[in-house]
Amino acid sequence: MRLAAITILGGLMLAGGTPAFADDPVEGQKVARMCQTCHGIDGLARMPIAPNIGGEPKEYLEAQLMAFKTGAREHEMMTVVASTLSAQQISDVAAWYASHTASASLPAGTSEDEAPSECVSCHGIDGISIALNAPNLAGEANTYIVTQLRAFRIGTRKHEIMSEIAAKLSDEQIRQFADWYSKVNLQITREE
Amino acid sequence: MKIKTLIPGIMLGTVIAMPVIAQENMEKLSNMQRTDASFTYVDQEGERANALRDIVQHIKVPEGFEVSLYAVVPDARSMAVAPQGTVTFVGTRKDKVWSVVDRDRDRVADEVKDFAPSVSFDIPNGPCFSPDGFLFIAERNRVLTFPAAEFFFEGPDPAVGEVVPQGQLIPAEEESFNHTARVCRIGPDGKLYISLGQPHNVQPADKLEMYDKIGIGGIIRMNTDGSGREVYTRGIRNSVGHDFNPANGELWFTDNQVDGMGDDIPPGELNRQNAAGQHFGFPWTNGGVDIPAYKDVPRPEAVEFVEPQVQMDAHAADLGMRFYKKGSFPEKYHGGIFSAQHGSWNRTTPVGARVMFTALDEEGNAASTEVFAEGWLNQETGEYRGRPMDIAFLPDGSMLVSDDFAGAIWRITYNPVSPQ
Repeated sequence: MRLAAITILGGLMLAGGTPAFADDPVEGQKVARMCQTCHGIDGLARMPIAPNIGGEPKEYLEAQLMAFKTGAREHEMMTVVASTLSAQQISDVAAWYASHTASASLPAGTSEDEAPSECVSCHGIDGISIALNAPNLAGEANTYIVTQLRAFRIGTRKHEIMSEIAAKLSDEQIRQFADWYSKVNLQITREE
Repeated sequence: MKIKTLIPGIMLGTVIAMPVIAQENMEKLSNMQRTDASFTYVDQEGERANALRDIVQHIKVPEGFEVSLYAVVPDARSMAVAPQGTVTFVGTRKDKVWSVVDRDRDRVADEVKDFAPSVSFDIPNGPCFSPDGFLFIAERNRVLTFPAAEFFFEGPDPAVGEVVPQGQLIPAEEESFNHTARVCRIGPDGKLYISLGQPHNVQPADKLEMYDKIGIGGIIRMNTDGSGREVYTRGIRNSVGHDFNPANGELWFTDNQVDGMGDDIPPGELNRQNAAGQHFGFPWTNGGVDIPAYKDVPRPEAVEFVEPQVQMDAHAADLGMRFYKKGSFPEKYHGGIFSAQHGSWNRTTPVGARVMFTALDEEGNAASTEVFAEGWLNQETGEYRGRPMDIAFLPDGSMLVSDDFAGAIWRITYNPVSPQ
């Protein structure tokens, strides 16, 4: 479903070929007014139920918004928001948040060796994503990460890689992984 | 020691599906042993506190009332003031419960630290006290109790018992994040009442039967040892605030409204329940408005929906509420309800972030509702300075307002200038 969503967006952009179809972070900033109460206008979450999305890969943000819009992913608030967005608005707002830079630092006294090996190849040791289709996890509320991993484990959220990984995780591991990334210090900046 | 003998009675079976370390801690704690957990302290002075104090000037209250910063408390959600009033326990939607301590009784917290750091909490949003000093904490999918928490909070290893084991409040498949913030109260019947929000905007029809049976989208009650669980309230979307009328023991609760039907419907709800099992209409109706998706779904047979007592502004997000018993506030507030509006999240023009007051008439119905405190929403920019979540009262009758956006607890006192 996620691949399909990207294909649709890619198709739109190719078919357009005009500025109207290119993603526009400035337009996206206007769309982001709908997001800012929970995610912050800069993508630094203002409440633990919402993930930090500033500096997230644009591909990931687009894919998730399309998944909420199509019903492939469900959330009591995001399903409502995404259903009102056009593909162009999704592309724009993803571009706005992706135009920020997320940087992370491990808290003093922690060793990189303690990072969860199951996660680091996509999400990084410090929770800054190194794959276009993986979200940053740095500084996320541990309860948010726990919620997502449990959803992958029982199948209420699906992803070709995550579903398989989460299926094997115990509650104990899920909490440990979540705790690792939630302790990371996250900064989100944007150059004008 | 009395507490010691109580613990085995409230421990129900083994702890399942918990992190091993936390499980070991739970076992140690239930045997009154020590762990090596240590406290996290929240700085009550410095930049953060000063920035919060700057917000106070924007808060408008009726004449004679004063607003101040009571404590810096990150992610502050539902509150429970301990019987002696020295410590207030504050839930979060993360992994902490905060102990907010005012030892010198100057009505400003002198210490804020995490409660029971040896316990691994999961969305411990809802603390509540029994009259005999047991603290209950309703988590996403577990309920714990801490005997004499008011005295044991000083150490990292307070005694703990399990009222509802992990995974037994609701089926794990029904866990969400946003609608699994619980609140609890001990009723006049001595039972523990817990709200169970349903995890959708509007639930699909094929879940109706299961939800109704478990009490998802309702309020359940049980004995304080976890036995005798039953569904007390039906037909709610996601209630995050309830309290009992001290005058007659009736349950009142707020409810949050369906999103995506427009800016002005459905209205927010304040409800009165006067019999067990009453149905409040959801998902067929919400704030008196019919839900389109349920137009053709048969309504439960022989059930009359109870309409809300008060219709609040749509999407203002009415959350925590509490009756004002008696105390230092003027008489017009005695016996009435204070409720917190968290504020809208996707309304075109934001609304809410206020404290509302609802007076009751002699029959125990809502008589009138007015804004009591506002100003946490910057009307010019539409940005929040803070978002009130819950209301509590200190023994002196002053009000505490928790705020999970600013990360604060505000205090509102009645302090009229005496005529010269």
